[in-house]
Amino acid sequence: MRRAIVVLLFPFLALMACSRGSAPSQPAARERTLTVLGAASLTDAFQAIGRRFEARHDGVTIRFSFGPSDGLAQQLQQGAPADLFASASSKWMDAVAGDPGVGHRADFARNRLTVVVPTSNPAGITALADLAKPGVRLVLAAEGVPAGDYARDILDNAGISRAALANLVSNEIDVKGVLQKVAAGEADAGIVYVTDVTPDVRGQVTAIPIPDAVNVIATYPIAVVAGSRDPGLALRFERYVLGPGQSELRRAGFLPAA
Amino acid sequence: MRERSGAAETHGHAGRARRSAPAPAALLALPALAFVLVPLAGLAVKAPWSRAGSALSRSGAWTALGVSLEVTLGATALSLLVALPAAWALARVPFPGRRVVRALIVLPIVLPPVVAGVALLAALGRLGFVGALLGRAGITLAFTTAGAAVAAAFVSAPFLVLALEAGFRGLDTRLEDAARALGASRRYVFQRIVLPQLRPALVAGLVLAWARALGEFGATITFAGNFRGTTQTLPLAVFQALQTDPGAAIVISLGMLAISVGVLVAVGGRLLVR
Repeated sequence: MRRAIVVLLFPFLALMACSRGSAPSQPAARERTLTVLGAASLTDAFQAIGRRFEARHDGVTIRFSFGPSDGLAQQLQQGAPADLFASASSKWMDAVAGDPGVGHRADFARNRLTVVVPTSNPAGITALADLAKPGVRLVLAAEGVPAGDYARDILDNAGISRAALANLVSNEIDVKGVLQKVAAGEADAGIVYVTDVTPDVRGQVTAIPIPDAVNVIATYPIAVVAGSRDPGLALRFERYVLGPGQSELRRAGFLPAA
Repeated sequence: MRERSGAAETHGHAGRARRSAPAPAALLALPALAFVLVPLAGLAVKAPWSRAGSALSRSGAWTALGVSLEVTLGATALSLLVALPAAWALARVPFPGRRVVRALIVLPIVLPPVVAGVALLAALGRLGFVGALLGRAGITLAFTTAGAAVAAAFVSAPFLVLALEAGFRGLDTRLEDAARALGASRRYVFQRIVLPQLRPALVAGLVLAWARALGEFGATITFAGNFRGTTQTLPLAVFQALQTDPGAAIVISLGMLAISVGVLVAVGGRLLVR
């Protein structure tokens, strides 16, 4: 009987446990939580910045949700509760600025792209132009995903768009998906941000630089999202990213904003 | 399903009396019903009906439907190939460790699909120990429709094994014995006696496995990638559309919902309640 009661109560207990996540039971100085939606390419740098910000602000927890900027923008337009949005392209920040609206928009970093190949380099790729060689298994982020759009711009700039896109075997949901397929050795090559080649994957992938003449510079805007429940703290975090957080971004390989 | 076979037997607990509760007690089913129906109603409410057609074509839904058909039929065939002998062995051969073997075979049912994808990648990927051998034989699975089918088969075959094993166990072996005694070959007995009796279980298992393959997402995107026309199945098309055109994602989801209802009607209506 007692077990039956526990079983019956379980869903409610589970629900309660979930709903309490945002409001911890022991009130410290003052518990505050910021939710930051960030482009997948910001994963490592933002987590480092978040840890530093938390260490400096007692009782503040930063929750990150990383993904493709287009998907995050879409979530915001569907009413996802968030305080800040950091996009890998102006395009998706523009979309969010239109609906649901943003404040304090500022560019905080720039990034370049690079070709990556597995360390074994099965297709023998040594330059961007090699992506057009027949039989190369190329993986890019999907169209609409900033990294995917930038990569297609680069192929266009290099004049190898048609041949290279004929080699495309997968449109990944975000740039980290591209990196994963290359690191796993499934794809012969991919195009990712310079900052994606982190120490974690350096043993599995080799970066082949893209000449500046054809490379694209990605600009990263950040803004406080309309409807933020703690806009003051959100602005503090944004200023932190624009100020002290820059060293983490530089360490990860990002360029300063123009 | 077990209840049916129990009731079909003329002895045993077929005569057990059932007490009925007063009709208002049926309201107890309401929370579960609402839990399922409310989100589904959300799909219908949010669907951009006026531009459903254009949303479908722009999001590549029709192409994805074709890929899904190819992938799920391939996966179901592959499942059948491995499930039929396994189910027979599990049902008929009392070998030591049978329970462990069965548990291992049905493990993918409870395994998170993305784990299945990572595992497939580790073994069958280009750098995996099986994948390297396949590669030498000129077979690549990553980024191919065949790879998506293998991923789907991995997660759906267990359903077929379970259904077929139950089917084999439900057969009246005396018929087979009689046929054998009358001089029929094993092959003849299997084709003329076992298979016809097995048909309900076979069809139910095939439909369930097919439906599971149709919904496969995690293992597919991890192992086979996402490319329109080769590996982008309906669930992947939904996920990708969700990033840029949620309306299209909802329309495709409604289409898949219709397929699911169809499967339920087919399995529940005709095969189980017969």
